Amino acid sequence: MKLLKYTIYRLLQAIPVLIGISVITFLLANLGPGDPVSLMLQGQEHSEELVRAIEQRYGLDRPLHERYITYMSGLLEGDLGQSIYYQRPVSALILDRLGPTLLLVLSAYAFALVTAIPLGVVAANRRNEPTDHASRVAALFGVSTPSFWIGIVLILIFAVKLGWLPSSGLYYPWRPPSSYPGINGHLELYYETARHLLLPMIALGTLQMATIMRVERTQMIESLQGEYVKLARAYGVPERTILRKHAFQVAQLPIITIVGANLSTAIGGAVLTETVFNINGMGQLFIEAIQQNDYQLVMGITMMLGFLFVVGVIITDISYAYVDPRVTYGERD
Amino acid sequence: MAVGESQLGSDTESAVDEGDVEARVGWRYTLAQIKQDTTARWGLYVVAFVITVATYAIVDSNLSLLTFGRLPDYAFAQALPIFDHPTRIPPPGEGTQHMPPYFPLAEQSWNPLPAGGTIEHPLGTDHTGRDYFTRIVYGTQVSVFVGIVSTFIGLSIGTIIGAVAGYYGGKTDDILMRVVEMIYSIPPLILIIVFTVFVGGTSIWYAVIGVGITFVPIFARIIRSRVLSIREMDYIEAARASGVKDRNIIMRHVVPNSFAPVLVYATLQIGVTILVVAGLSFLGYGAQPPTPDWGQMLNISHGYMHSNLWLSIWPGLAIMITIMGFNLLGDGLQDALDPRIDD
Amino acid sequence: MSSEPLLRVENLKTQFFTETGTVRAVDGISFEVREGEIVGLVGESGAGKSVASMSLLRLVENPGEIVAGEITYKGETIFGLEEGPDGELQERDDMLSNEEIRTRIRGNEIAVIFQDPMESLNPVFTVGGQLREFIELNRGLSKDEAKTEAIDMLREVGIPDPEERYEEYPHQFSGGMRQRVLIAMALACEPSLIIADEPTTALDVTVEGQILDLVDDLQDKYGTSFIWVTHDMGVVAEICDRVNVMYLGEIVEQAPVDELFYDTKHPYTNALLNSIPRPDRTVTELEAIEGVMPEAINPPSGCRFHPRCPDAREVCKRVHPEAKTVADADGEAHRAACVKHDAFDAGYEDSSMLEGAVGSTEREPESELAVNPAGDDSGGEGRE
Repeated sequence: MKLLKYTIYRLLQAIPVLIGISVITFLLANLGPGDPVSLMLQGQEHSEELVRAIEQRYGLDRPLHERYITYMSGLLEGDLGQSIYYQRPVSALILDRLGPTLLLVLSAYAFALVTAIPLGVVAANRRNEPTDHASRVAALFGVSTPSFWIGIVLILIFAVKLGWLPSSGLYYPWRPPSSYPGINGHLELYYETARHLLLPMIALGTLQMATIMRVERTQMIESLQGEYVKLARAYGVPERTILRKHAFQVAQLPIITIVGANLSTAIGGAVLTETVFNINGMGQLFIEAIQQNDYQLVMGITMMLGFLFVVGVIITDISYAYVDPRVTYGERD
Repeated sequence: MAVGESQLGSDTESAVDEGDVEARVGWRYTLAQIKQDTTARWGLYVVAFVITVATYAIVDSNLSLLTFGRLPDYAFAQALPIFDHPTRIPPPGEGTQHMPPYFPLAEQSWNPLPAGGTIEHPLGTDHTGRDYFTRIVYGTQVSVFVGIVSTFIGLSIGTIIGAVAGYYGGKTDDILMRVVEMIYSIPPLILIIVFTVFVGGTSIWYAVIGVGITFVPIFARIIRSRVLSIREMDYIEAARASGVKDRNIIMRHVVPNSFAPVLVYATLQIGVTILVVAGLSFLGYGAQPPTPDWGQMLNISHGYMHSNLWLSIWPGLAIMITIMGFNLLGDGLQDALDPRIDD
Repeated sequence: MSSEPLLRVENLKTQFFTETGTVRAVDGISFEVREGEIVGLVGESGAGKSVASMSLLRLVENPGEIVAGEITYKGETIFGLEEGPDGELQERDDMLSNEEIRTRIRGNEIAVIFQDPMESLNPVFTVGGQLREFIELNRGLSKDEAKTEAIDMLREVGIPDPEERYEEYPHQFSGGMRQRVLIAMALACEPSLIIADEPTTALDVTVEGQILDLVDDLQDKYGTSFIWVTHDMGVVAEICDRVNVMYLGEIVEQAPVDELFYDTKHPYTNALLNSIPRPDRTVTELEAIEGVMPEAINPPSGCRFHPRCPDAREVCKRVHPEAKTVADADGEAHRAACVKHDAFDAGYEDSSMLEGAVGSTEREPESELAVNPAGDDSGGEGRE
């Protein structure tokens, strides 16, 4: 019950942030020197009437605050407006492209967590030994290398040179296998998905992995020096249990926060990774929208990504509250 | 411990926000610490090297020493007009249909791409025959410049917002920090692209400002949490009681006392900035051709993967080494200034 | 005296090998603990008390190492070296292996209570869960049995509603309550010896009193021996049977508690006693010990206490005194490491005063007036 209350409280807290995101996006999209109509017309020959007509159609002739209110009331009903370029509802376009991006980001996080946590623990446990130094150097490379370049290098090695893995595209596991020619059955589809996902997942996940590993190491070192670890040792608890249970559990709390806070970096990285690997996700949609000056679509995507980030942070906050007994629900400071 | 507003990015705060660094401020102390810390020393070497190369590149682009004085535009020239790809959104009525800014080039097999290894072209040439090594060297100035200037923008605005919010507290604090949180909630790359395209127009200048703005929240938070802890100290109380103006208190006492954690963060942030701008240029929204820029070079070389894969390697390595330098320096500084964890 | 003591420590040396040099944290201490007694280990912070007590469990943290000495517990060798065939010192064959120490000694034979009850319990596990885990591990009980035992123990140490408190987390307990939990934890493992490392230092004075009473009662009931590490002479007077005073890694005085208080033989002990507030003296008389304790990495020459000693003479700079029996207290040796006693014969009387010495006249021991609350009944001898 407490947790439910806390969840609701956090969701309510997110509302002003979401409104803020909408205001920022709205202002950016509407206050720029390039006004939407001429962007839409892209310098084509046009008459005054055409401009009028377009303005009327998209409600651009009305004052800014009225347009904002209209936009927001539409938003409340799940209507993000009409894409100018695609001539389809923005929400439908986003829903189409959300899947691949979520799949990419989540698998990158899974990759990062699965590799970073054991590495961080081992590094902390063998502090200042070769293993530790090696993993720290690896982490330094990880935080210093652009994800898109990692993607390029992976393609060069595994697709261009070795020819083991595909360099672009993605098979969607939620689609029926019959929609792909030459794919028989779900198993084959999942296999293809995995093959296509592997490189982009590593490219996007490396930065997260390096960051998480560094934090994990620091936290484990600190945790292993804790009095409770000394106490457990003094009571004859095996070193392995101390590492895996007593020290480990405490050290994971900051990891949850890191995962949430890094979500925005991961989403930005997804745009780049999708570009490198030619995956038709939100990132690609965003780039297309920007290129086509489809400001409705840009606004919709930006709102959506901001929303994803806020939701991600709330989820991490709640799981933090769930894991750490010391959290007092719903009270600030 | 209550999780609430502070959860967003609280890792950035807790990492450096330990009171111990209080007394350990000032350049002399910092330099002494850097000398002792191996990590920081190596970072300093790399950063010094990169900055030297960047400075050299600025001089050289006027003197053409590196290019043996042959072509002043050895690094910039565009051999064929076909490769001219304007990416700035044309002002209304200009009448040119603009091309997509990313991956503008299809694989051009007819273009000779020397493999490199000659004295003239140690790293070969790009698709238009420009010397790749010169372009890599020249690319340093863009990265370093962008990294430092945008970090400086983020730092200045962030400091003002954070200091005011922390010092006055209450409503001011609430409103400012809410705005900061809103900016923080939009993924940086997205925000920068929207800002660049809709407000400015694709150019490295707008990218620099955009990147600076997106990093305001990080600095605002650090400064604010420092200010909150410093605000209650006796000497601040004393200054306030003796009628020193608020602005003077903030500028003379509060801001200088936040020196250490901010220095660490600014250094690390330069690395992050270079990373983001490289991504931006890779997508076509950062530095514009013919300016030599690593991200943008990767954008172009992506189309030549099969004919010369090294074109995709060199700029990436350059980015990596540069960022690593700033990261090493930042990490070393953090170790040196924050005695909590000693390695 | 006749029977073998529970624990005997001989010439124990524990050193830390740091970049700046070797820190002789514990430098050749000897003491013993008999069954059913509370032995005090007293000294300022940094004297090596905690390192000494952790050495008993072979739990010295890196870069520390036990380098010499012998620790015998119930006839078993916890630590012991012998000269190997190559002339190098090597571990003795009968020394317990790491695994044996962990499974047979730690927790079930020797348990500990740490100083900071706020930090000693793991914040993410329930208090009951932690108790149960240690009981299960050290007494070989099943989960349910261990839980029953844990709840009984919580009740025993005076925690109200133990069934409910069992499910709660450490942050829901007050400092005093947490220390009770730690005491319950130690006792529940049914050890023969408990090392209490400054267990009341972090607590309020009133809570401290309650905890001391509790330990006194439980010690009567269970007959467990204690090594009580503290810097507080008041606590020593209240709870200990015999006392070892440590200074810079060495034991400078060793005596039954009454002897120590009434017939103090070492200037350092004297200084410790003078530095605590007592109801029979006004605050102006309270004397702080001059200076700070030097670092154990580079201890002063001769007697390590001489730079701060009011009685120091020229000889003290040269002669390093080993503790010797200087008096006899009803069959118990009263040992002290100070050359001013006749047993040393180092020429103290003829030695000149030190330039700038802290004090010049030997103080009259004022211990006749010292009140010794509560400690009297349980203190002294006659417990064997």
